[in-house]
Amino acid sequence: MAASALNEERQLAINPIVASSVQHNTQVISNIRNLTASLFGVAAGTLGLESYAGFIFYILASLVVSVLLFALKTDGKPGAYFYRPLGDLWLGDVFGGLSGFVLTWTLFYGLVRA
Amino acid sequence: MGQPVVQTIHRDPALFWWILLPITVVMILTGILRHYAMTLLQSTPKKADLPKIRQQRSLTRGVNLRANANVISSSSFAARKAYMVQAYQEGKFLAEPEQRGKPRPNPMSDPAAMEGMMGMMKGNMAMMIPQTLIMGWINAFFSGFVIMKLPFPLTPQFKSMLQSGVGTRDLDVRWVSSLSWYFLTLFGLQPVYNFILGSNNAANQVSQQMAMANGSGGGMMGPEQDPDKLFLSEAENLEVLEHRWILEGIEDRLVAKLAAVSV
Repeated sequence: MAASALNEERQLAINPIVASSVQHNTQVISNIRNLTASLFGVAAGTLGLESYAGFIFYILASLVVSVLLFALKTDGKPGAYFYRPLGDLWLGDVFGGLSGFVLTWTLFYGLVRA
Repeated sequence: MGQPVVQTIHRDPALFWWILLPITVVMILTGILRHYAMTLLQSTPKKADLPKIRQQRSLTRGVNLRANANVISSSSFAARKAYMVQAYQEGKFLAEPEQRGKPRPNPMSDPAAMEGMMGMMKGNMAMMIPQTLIMGWINAFFSGFVIMKLPFPLTPQFKSMLQSGVGTRDLDVRWVSSLSWYFLTLFGLQPVYNFILGSNNAANQVSQQMAMANGSGGGMMGPEQDPDKLFLSEAENLEVLEHRWILEGIEDRLVAKLAAVSV
């Protein structure tokens, strides 16, 4: 156990993780998430989704965005861009976009349906 | 009663033009204004005198040496370590060597610390004043209108907050007044600011309050600490650091990597 930790530390020293690059990658993900979340809100509001249907729509759409990010932005190799691909790419900032989603969802629901 | 009747309200379409749109525009503009106000209010750091700068920079030097120790060879690391540790322990870099071992003066009397507190006050003011003003503005002009229906149900506890100024007891909680649109924009406009102002803007008060709650401890404590103690602890950190040169065995690694590529 200790040997593997040491080995990992050594690997990190040999291939260091540059903080500014990590920050940039996270920023790109966050921007895409925020933009798409707002657009999904427009879609959900126009479709007239209510309560759980809307949130499920958001989760499914975020999943689609994750797949697109995986395929297009990282070329199927998220390990090259993220230290922890699961947390940073697949789940990263999903809930950060939720407030933007609710905002546009409410707005367009109010304009179109109610 | 079993299935409640779906309540519908016919609203004037002008409500959108005269309430929803103005609030949104005002919120966006306030965010932009706050961003530029914060940029203007940022006081330029005061010029410190030479010994103070030397004290601070030499401490940073120790920290940098510790962080990057692995990229220099063992002998040069040992030489640097010996020099830094000795200088730290003797207090060579101290700005006021005669103050060593004496208790620190009251931080309130230190003008530099007061400066930092003023900066924090300004930041707080730039957040609080627009928030209060806009809340008052919305309450004064737009209270009493039901402007929109939320697409998701809420528990009745929200009724008093979201339907403030609407005196209808049996109205579904999903019908909300203008103040709740204000709250939605307050939390949801961060992406808009991101796209208008760039990513590290100072527009959103919510994210700023979070940052302040996290960061206030470190920033406030910084200037008050005894520099001598900081130096001694840094010397100790350097002493116990285990040094491992990154270029050790580089030939073997390189050969192994090239062999793996060529196969």
